Amino acid sequence: MLVSIKFLGMQRLITNTDSIDMPINGNTRVNDALQYVRQQYPVLPLEEGMVLATINLEVASLDRILQDKDTISFLPLIAGG
Amino acid sequence: MKMLRQIEYKPARVVGGYTDRILKVNLSKQEITIQEPPPDFKNKYVGGRGYALKLIWDGTRQETHYDSPENILVMASGPLGNEPAFPGTGKFIVGTISPLTDTFIDSNIGGHFGPILKRAGFDALAVSGISKKDVVILIDGDAQTISIAAAPAYDEEIDEGALSFGERLLKDVNGGELGDSLAAVTAGKGACNARFGIVNSLSFDVRRKRLRSKQAGRGGTGTVMRYKGLRSIVVRSSLSVVNSNNAIDKEGVRQAGSRLKAVVSKCDTQQLHLSTWGTTGLSEYMDKFHLFPINNYQYGQSPESPKLFAQVFLDKYFSKKIPDGCYYGCNLACAKGSENVELTRGPKAGRIVNIDGPEYETVGAVSCMGIFDPHFVMEYNWYCDEYGIDTISTGVTIGFFMECFQRGFLSADDVGYELTFGNIKAADRLLHEIADGKGFGKIVGQGVARGKKWVAQKYASQNGTSEDAVMAELDKFGMEVKGLEFSMYITKESLAQQGGYGFALKGPQHDEAWLIFIDQVHKELPTLEHKANALKWFPLIRTWFNATGLCKLPWIDVRNPEAASTAEPSKNLPTLAYYVAYLNATTGSNKTLQDVLDDSERLYILQKLVNLRHGKGMRASDQIPWRAMGPAYFNEYEARAEYYDEWLQQQLGDDKVPASPEQRHKLLMEKRIEAYQHLCDIVYQKKGFTSEGIPKRETVEKFGLMDEQARQLLSELGV
Repeated sequence: MLVSIKFLGMQRLITNTDSIDMPINGNTRVNDALQYVRQQYPVLPLEEGMVLATINLEVASLDRILQDKDTISFLPLIAGG
Repeated sequence: MKMLRQIEYKPARVVGGYTDRILKVNLSKQEITIQEPPPDFKNKYVGGRGYALKLIWDGTRQETHYDSPENILVMASGPLGNEPAFPGTGKFIVGTISPLTDTFIDSNIGGHFGPILKRAGFDALAVSGISKKDVVILIDGDAQTISIAAAPAYDEEIDEGALSFGERLLKDVNGGELGDSLAAVTAGKGACNARFGIVNSLSFDVRRKRLRSKQAGRGGTGTVMRYKGLRSIVVRSSLSVVNSNNAIDKEGVRQAGSRLKAVVSKCDTQQLHLSTWGTTGLSEYMDKFHLFPINNYQYGQSPESPKLFAQVFLDKYFSKKIPDGCYYGCNLACAKGSENVELTRGPKAGRIVNIDGPEYETVGAVSCMGIFDPHFVMEYNWYCDEYGIDTISTGVTIGFFMECFQRGFLSADDVGYELTFGNIKAADRLLHEIADGKGFGKIVGQGVARGKKWVAQKYASQNGTSEDAVMAELDKFGMEVKGLEFSMYITKESLAQQGGYGFALKGPQHDEAWLIFIDQVHKELPTLEHKANALKWFPLIRTWFNATGLCKLPWIDVRNPEAASTAEPSKNLPTLAYYVAYLNATTGSNKTLQDVLDDSERLYILQKLVNLRHGKGMRASDQIPWRAMGPAYFNEYEARAEYYDEWLQQQLGDDKVPASPEQRHKLLMEKRIEAYQHLCDIVYQKKGFTSEGIPKRETVEKFGLMDEQARQLLSELGV
């Protein structure tokens, strides 16, 4: 099983890619995806409290279990100008 | 320059953020007076929007329209808008009776004009009357004179342009050079010909060594300025910008500013990167969540959108590595700009220009016309600024007429050419026609609300149908409320933001509430109760920013990490604590956040009273187009059918969902319309209004606003 982790905005510039795939098992959680990205791209700023995890356009908690083909993003906290 | 009237004055000193002086200029009589407001004026009306509202409430009438001589054009900073030690100061408000909404409009604007006006001795400037010939006002704190002068004539090309005329005028009054002790506001020829004329704020940027411009874009303030015969206002003061607010507790200001600057420095580079990209960074996120207003808000997403993402502007246009605060001391520095851009279209094709922007709203406005060409965005940005017209209203109105063309309400015979989505040539031509008040541009320059009436009349007479029936159709996709065009966010999937636009007292501009992400993505507002609470709280705190002379972005677009452990992270309360500390240190007050919200609520209710007086304050005026609530047409539904069907299933349960897509679309829209009406009921209740959206007497009395005019108005309305 695979999930896709999308990079947007400055994340795409830093990682130089639109997305990466990550293999999962039945117990892989959002937090595991966050750790995976941190390992792959240590320079990417992903501090807790500063990013919002989403799965398929909806907010997701860090302990949510991932499903095959989920699309995950770690977004800035946008609150409007 | 020919002086028509001049007075000498002694500039009042700023103490605790106030000069306690209001400059009044009557252009009909060429009178200049300086008013000392009563002692409690600043306590009740704060500054900025509050001052504009009170001056207009007292000085205009129900019968006052944008072009009435008694209409007042107010420019007012607030007690906090003059301080480099704190990020995001320097804002001021332009307020007046709007040519679009026919009620109070205000628009906030950055640059140096507000702070210099303050240092020249004035908390606010109120211009009434109409001059027979074009004039400029010169407020010179150094020479201690205030003058009304005949507008100089340079040459036609310069005189017609808001940027060009402003630059020449500033040099003219300063020995041929630009300098940072001067600033100006200007309005261009487009503001004469369209109802959505803007006021440009021009000031010298010592880093870029050129004039920068910011805009009071919404609601036609520039149109009022030009109708008054006022081409420009120049202010000058050489007083130091450091400690110029003369805060009561300077160390308190320094500490509050340092704390906010530290959060901005640490967090912006991990969040939206406004300091690098400006607000253009939003385009990508809006596209991802189906919020980008493509083709008059029909579609929120397009494969072509990446052509308008921030990186494109950063790589091709923005000058990099230059701090770009629109006032001194702002380390968020999001006012991006570009030098040496060649215009390839329009009457100035071939000219090399400097461009301030684009902001996200301008990028969105171009996508609203179905155009995805970044160079057109740059040119559109520059021409709108030079002509003095609002990039938002221009784009939304053109988008509306493009959709009229798409749906058969208009033909090439009516327009003079094919006005299709994505047609750069047509959009460009129409832009210049709007500014010139010629051809089809004369119609489009009236905005969406009046455009709907024009199309309905024309189509009904051509086809023998009823105007009402055509109007009902146009109301579905004419993206305006109260006469103001929507700003650049699709609200279909956020009921809270539908209210954020519908209840906004000035019309659908997001500076009262921007709840889309909190509601649609974060899911922090799951019930009507949650949404209604947010629709009360956010407009109040945002009103306070517009009253005090502050930019909202360092608060709302840079999340303080400490907010994560609070009950409502989206309010970013740890950062708001710095603002309250800054207020108290500046003015010597001892206010809490609740006191601040109460001050704002007074202004909010006063604005509601102005709206009621002008026939824009009741429930009917808060109604939004179908397109704002959901997929108004079947093509929009089809584009996201799977998503909408799932939404409907969640609402109804599987067994109740109709079989045919057409029936599902119809039912979905019925549900959305019903939900908005429920939202109206609960929001009015929270705000202390009747079910018709009128403030109850006790609400008006609570805030000390029950004067004779309010009493009579409420009686007439049966409250």
